[in-house]
Amino acid sequence: MSFWRQTAALVRAQTRSETRTGEVLLVVLPFGAAALFVIPMAVGADSALLQRVGPGLFWMVVLLFGIVVTQRRTAHPSGARSDLLRMLAVDPAARFTATAVVNWALLIAFEIVVGLVMIVLYDPVLTGWAWLVLVVPLSAAGLALVGTLAGSIADGAGVRTTLVPLLVLPVAIPLLLAAAQATEGLRLGTGILRWVLLLAITDLVLAIAGVLTARPLEESDS
Amino acid sequence: MSDWGWVAFAYVVVFGTLGTYTAWLMTRLRRERR
Amino acid sequence: MTNLRPTPLDLAAIGTLATALVAGLVVPPDAVQGDLQRIMYVHVPSAWLAYLAFVVTLVGSVAYLVTSRMKWDRIAASSAELGVVFTGLALATGMIWGKPVWGVWWTWDARLVLTAVMFFVYLGYLALRRSMPEPAVRARRSAVFGVLAVVQVPIVHFSVIWWRSLHQPPTVLRPDEPQIDPPLLFALLMSVAAFTVVYAALMRHRIALEAIQSELEDAPEAVAGAAVRPPRLGGADV
Repeated sequence: MSFWRQTAALVRAQTRSETRTGEVLLVVLPFGAAALFVIPMAVGADSALLQRVGPGLFWMVVLLFGIVVTQRRTAHPSGARSDLLRMLAVDPAARFTATAVVNWALLIAFEIVVGLVMIVLYDPVLTGWAWLVLVVPLSAAGLALVGTLAGSIADGAGVRTTLVPLLVLPVAIPLLLAAAQATEGLRLGTGILRWVLLLAITDLVLAIAGVLTARPLEESDS
Repeated sequence: MSDWGWVAFAYVVVFGTLGTYTAWLMTRLRRERR
Repeated sequence: MTNLRPTPLDLAAIGTLATALVAGLVVPPDAVQGDLQRIMYVHVPSAWLAYLAFVVTLVGSVAYLVTSRMKWDRIAASSAELGVVFTGLALATGMIWGKPVWGVWWTWDARLVLTAVMFFVYLGYLALRRSMPEPAVRARRSAVFGVLAVVQVPIVHFSVIWWRSLHQPPTVLRPDEPQIDPPLLFALLMSVAAFTVVYAALMRHRIALEAIQSELEDAPEAVAGAAVRPPRLGGADV
């Protein structure tokens, strides 16, 4: 079975299990929305302040909760299922790509829904919002890639769920900065091209790293 | 705090940390070499 | 080797460090910063070593992925541990210098932010290693993370600099001013050299410690009977 067909099959399988468990859409997403809801209780409900920091806080929630999205149970098959995949000689790069693609789709949905919540609660300025058509998928892709990668690196560690955020955060800083500065640039009317470019480059580097390291990482499974 | 106070603070932190780390390392080495 | 007599490298480390310490305290104060300049004699070397240790960790990680020889994993891990120490010192001394000079402990200066990011990367690397007791698995996973993190560093570097260039005033007091008098430059270079020798000496011992510990891990079981475990109730353990 070719790489792409393997990937497609795995994507279908993961989508099916994710739809069944609903971990991301029914649990993590509401949690992210709740976080946005609770923040003004901490920093004050001054609408001018909230209007300014809304987009930045949105990206913070996307980053932090997005990591949780990429660590969904359906992305990390249990020992028996994982062994089965290995015995069937599934290309590790295909496994990585499939997991990353499903994460990407979930994160896009996450960003859209949580974004709508943020717009309602924080009333940000929305000039140039058409650019978001680029920024949302690019940021979601970067986060999906780095989360999938970190999940593979920490796979098998008992403390995987707490370790992954620590591994992801420093590496994801360019994603956060680029996305936040892009929306900030839209608000102020300054250029956002460099930030979109930064997102694209980061995504490319992460994608290459993910595919290249898939086999070495899988071979090191205990 | 005077300038020399800050300098002393920095030097104590640096040499203290390096010294403590070295001592820890040597202790571990001595113990493992048994 | 059960005796821990100081090696020539150890003696060199102690000697150069003592010389650097004296030099730093004895040279005249800086024309602009006064005596606070002396903090640079520990801050700049710490920062230099933080970056050097980072590079060594990268080299060790790449070399391990290519050769699968544990020696490289030991080098990478030892350098990461020393890297955490020196990065922490770079941040601490930077803050101790910054408080009297700028009036605040922290500013969002690009270089400070980058150093802090490096610190978190090191911590992640060490936490990852801690979570994996099996040597081969641990070596491979941490090598991959090491390479990934370092490959990201240039991207992080530019993104932070672009970010701060939007907000940073053009005249900011930089810790290492280009114009520096010869005696002060000597003290600075002496300190950098001394810290490097200290790093080398500590690396030697830290790598030795790693080697001994992995020997212990690989030690064969005592007798055949050790391979048999008593039956346990409940679910199978992994």
